Amino acid sequence: MHKADAILSPEVGGGMYAASAAAIAYAVTKFRKDDPGESKLPLMAVSGAMVFAAQMINFTIPGTGSSGHIGGGILLAALLGPFAGLLALSAVLIIQCLFFADGGLLALGCNIFNIAVIPCMLIYPLLFKRIFSPSPTAKRIWVASVVSVVIALQLGSLGVVAQTTASGVAMIPFTAFLLLMQPIHLAIGIVEGLVTAAILSFVFAARPQILTSAAFGQKGTKDKGTVLLSFMDDTENNTKPAKSLKAVIIALACIAVVTAVVLPLVASQNPDGLEWSLIKLTGSTELTESGEIPLAGTIGAVIIIAAAVASGFIIQIVNKRRKRR
Amino acid sequence: MISNRVHELYLLEGLSDRGTAVHRLHPRAKLIITFVYIVAVVSFNRYDVLGEVPFFLYTAIICAIADLPLRILHKRFLIALPFCAFVGLTNLFLDQNIAFMIGGAVITYGLLSLIAIVLRTYLCVMAVFILIATTPFPALTRELRRMRMPRIFITLIEMIYRYIGVLIDEAASMSTAYKLRSVASKNIAMKHMGPFVGQLVLRSYDRGERVYAAMACRGFGGEFPEHTPVRMTVNDILAASLLCAAFVLLRLFPLLNML
Repeated sequence: MHKADAILSPEVGGGMYAASAAAIAYAVTKFRKDDPGESKLPLMAVSGAMVFAAQMINFTIPGTGSSGHIGGGILLAALLGPFAGLLALSAVLIIQCLFFADGGLLALGCNIFNIAVIPCMLIYPLLFKRIFSPSPTAKRIWVASVVSVVIALQLGSLGVVAQTTASGVAMIPFTAFLLLMQPIHLAIGIVEGLVTAAILSFVFAARPQILTSAAFGQKGTKDKGTVLLSFMDDTENNTKPAKSLKAVIIALACIAVVTAVVLPLVASQNPDGLEWSLIKLTGSTELTESGEIPLAGTIGAVIIIAAAVASGFIIQIVNKRRKRR
Repeated sequence: MISNRVHELYLLEGLSDRGTAVHRLHPRAKLIITFVYIVAVVSFNRYDVLGEVPFFLYTAIICAIADLPLRILHKRFLIALPFCAFVGLTNLFLDQNIAFMIGGAVITYGLLSLIAIVLRTYLCVMAVFILIATTPFPALTRELRRMRMPRIFITLIEMIYRYIGVLIDEAASMSTAYKLRSVASKNIAMKHMGPFVGQLVLRSYDRGERVYAAMACRGFGGEFPEHTPVRMTVNDILAASLLCAAFVLLRLFPLLNML
């Protein structure tokens, strides 16, 4: 579910833009270092487009009759590696925002953070890779995928709730919103985790080197023999933990920035938000007539809308006449 | 059905290849205008319907000048609506304080905020559509590059945008093949999703490598050659600053609230 502009305040939108931009900038520098020739770029592009295409395939969820589609954060990270995965998924989100109004322009920072940064920069190195990497097997892929997708979606929907509440446009209280969103996303997460696991284990059975090279960062190995060998090399002189630690630190820094931006906003905008909303929920609202009828304003609004529609029509007619000549 | 989406995807770009005054405006001017517009609209408080109404003038008039097909844009706006409508409806139930009464009808603050949220969803979505439908995609990405966005990332966006069509075709032909072999089922069964998308992944992977080989053969070194930049003219600067000033003024001094 992509957040829209209408329920977001500019402060929260801007703060999340900064956090996501930092994550993307970091991923770009990492990607440049790992792959100076940018030989991976076409692969990332095709994979991103693949996720976009796969999202349009609806499958039937057994027992419910409803249909779902895949989300793709963990999938892309597992196929491309966390940094390339983050870049590809962010690019997909930008295209969806611009061409399908799926998520707003101001909300882009929030959406990239909730849908791409959390699974790729946080969950993939901390969970997926840890479960998957010591000795990759099909079983480990299943566990890793389901666990990571479920937790990534829970954190993502927590992000949506927190950002919405901090924006102060929606009146639904934080806890009620949370109780509504988390179970829904738990169900979505289990289904998506199973599908992601099925996809990844198929890929692993057919070409294990795709997943292992994404996890261990090798380049240019194509046939199975050399991959196996170099993979063993890699586990022997395993110098990678330092790298993943760095990613964790960066991710934590991002979270720190976000909480630093968001928490004061929550505190300042809605000092007794919970209390206030509890009164609302228990229905002890006093029916007080607080305002006068903004009669002049309403009439003005009607006039402006009429004027806008009318001028639109007139411009269209003038344009058509001009074309005929 | 899937291939319909390909058509939809490239539809807005098809509109951007025209010559109206809005289309001719410099992409950077349009980017700035759109951003200021959205921030201005979104920064109103949640009950402020009257403050937001004048901003409707922008979308209505610009759509007319740019000769955009309103029906198509409105249809697409409906995609963005559900989540906002949900939030608006919860506001309707949670805030039943009466704002004022017109005749016998009670207008609550919840209703006001529902209207305000739907209105600002409309305005923001239309503003983005106006930007995209009047600016060719390469011009837009060129501008983003000049605004110091990471080049690799922009190149990636451009390439994904082009490949979506190709991969949707691929997925569509696979799904046709699947449906021909499975009678009486509309969608793909969940247990087949793994091999199905997995197959798509492998095909995409191979295609990615072939594409890279083909691009490397033609001298691709990570970046597309830069075009000579088109400068903003006096008219572009004038239009952008006038519109932005208007938005800021309408935000700071909401016309209708002061009546």
